[in-house]
Amino acid sequence: MENNFENPFHGAGQVGQAVLEPTRRSSPRTPPFPYSSLPFASSNAKSPTPSPSPVVIPPGHNIVAPTLTEPVWETVQRDLSRILSNLKLVLFPNPHREDPGKALRDWDLWGPFFFVIFLGLTLSWSASIKKSEIFAVSFALLGIGAIVLTLNVLLLGGKIIFFQSLSLLGYCLFPLDIGALICLFKGHFIARMIAVFVTMFWSSWAAYPFISSAVTQKRKALALYPLLLMYVSVAFLIIATS
Amino acid sequence: MDQNQPPGENYAHPKICFFHVLFKAASLAFYILSTIFVDSFVIIFVVTVLLAALDFWVVKNVSGRILVGLRWWNEINDLGESVWRFECLDQESLARMNKKDSWLFWWTLYLAAVVWILLGIFSLVRFQADYLLVVGVCLTLSLANIIGFTKCRKDAKKQIQAFASQTIASRVSSTLQSAFSVV
Repeated sequence: MENNFENPFHGAGQVGQAVLEPTRRSSPRTPPFPYSSLPFASSNAKSPTPSPSPVVIPPGHNIVAPTLTEPVWETVQRDLSRILSNLKLVLFPNPHREDPGKALRDWDLWGPFFFVIFLGLTLSWSASIKKSEIFAVSFALLGIGAIVLTLNVLLLGGKIIFFQSLSLLGYCLFPLDIGALICLFKGHFIARMIAVFVTMFWSSWAAYPFISSAVTQKRKALALYPLLLMYVSVAFLIIATS
Repeated sequence: MDQNQPPGENYAHPKICFFHVLFKAASLAFYILSTIFVDSFVIIFVVTVLLAALDFWVVKNVSGRILVGLRWWNEINDLGESVWRFECLDQESLARMNKKDSWLFWWTLYLAAVVWILLGIFSLVRFQADYLLVVGVCLTLSLANIIGFTKCRKDAKKQIQAFASQTIASRVSSTLQSAFSVV
């Protein structure tokens, strides 16, 4: 995933903790945003900020409006490609990767946001009664569960960053989303159960390398147990509402 | 930043100002008015939170960049530490920013958060936990942007002051040097 959009700010020069650089460029007219220097670099001949007609594409959709201009579109594309690459990284963990903890460097919370909403919607759709409560409960459960799991790892002395872990747990929810989707098609009960359990194991298997690489050997079980517990409970929630 | 900006009269980027306000107002309006004609809590939740998330994205990526020339993000460096990065335009461009644009930007940012807090108090008083959840999520998104941009602005000011004092110090020292060399 070494495309240019991944880490455009590597070219911005070294920065300490939250240091602000009044970025200067040779031509004083160009708004010097290294973050978006890639789209601007190609359009330097034009006026520096072609006043972007900000018809913004909501992330996750693919509607193309005719009045889009480059800069905003590039930002959207970058965000979308980041979501996809994070998803691939998490879902197909390469066991021979040299440092699994490094994988989700480019964390983002858009993917988890959509997966959590999707799961809530699917559960609420397939439930016959109490639709609103199921949605609210699943959202709260997933949100608070992710936060608590992250705090658990941090309190066990694990070296993981808060948002990176939230992002990871959100992305690992994707298989369970698929499981819930399968449960929407009301097939045989046993088939649904098998599908949900398979996706639950896939979720746990995806989350395992990150969590286990973050804590010391002795505390791995302590860190992993709540994770498995949460995914099992989500799986039962899916089965129970379908 | 327009080259031909009328002297402080109009907004320099009216369309962006419009979108900046649009999603905030839409999510607030939908939340407040939805109980009248929408029955399902799920729809209220999803639409409100979606509009609030869109607003977050627009403010962070588009209007912050263009209206006030600030940008903030977080990245994880090679040592595995999380670093908050703040970026601002250089001083001359910042001075050229339209005052009306930035006034609108900051005021709507703060105002939206205040309204969400009020709505949160209402739902707290009525013991509606699920609506409190909606308000909580939207408030978190607004606060994140407020904190990010305020920190960014403070850093920008500090940087400008440091730069200015550095320039003054170097000027003073060069003047002293030239004075002593004459003597």
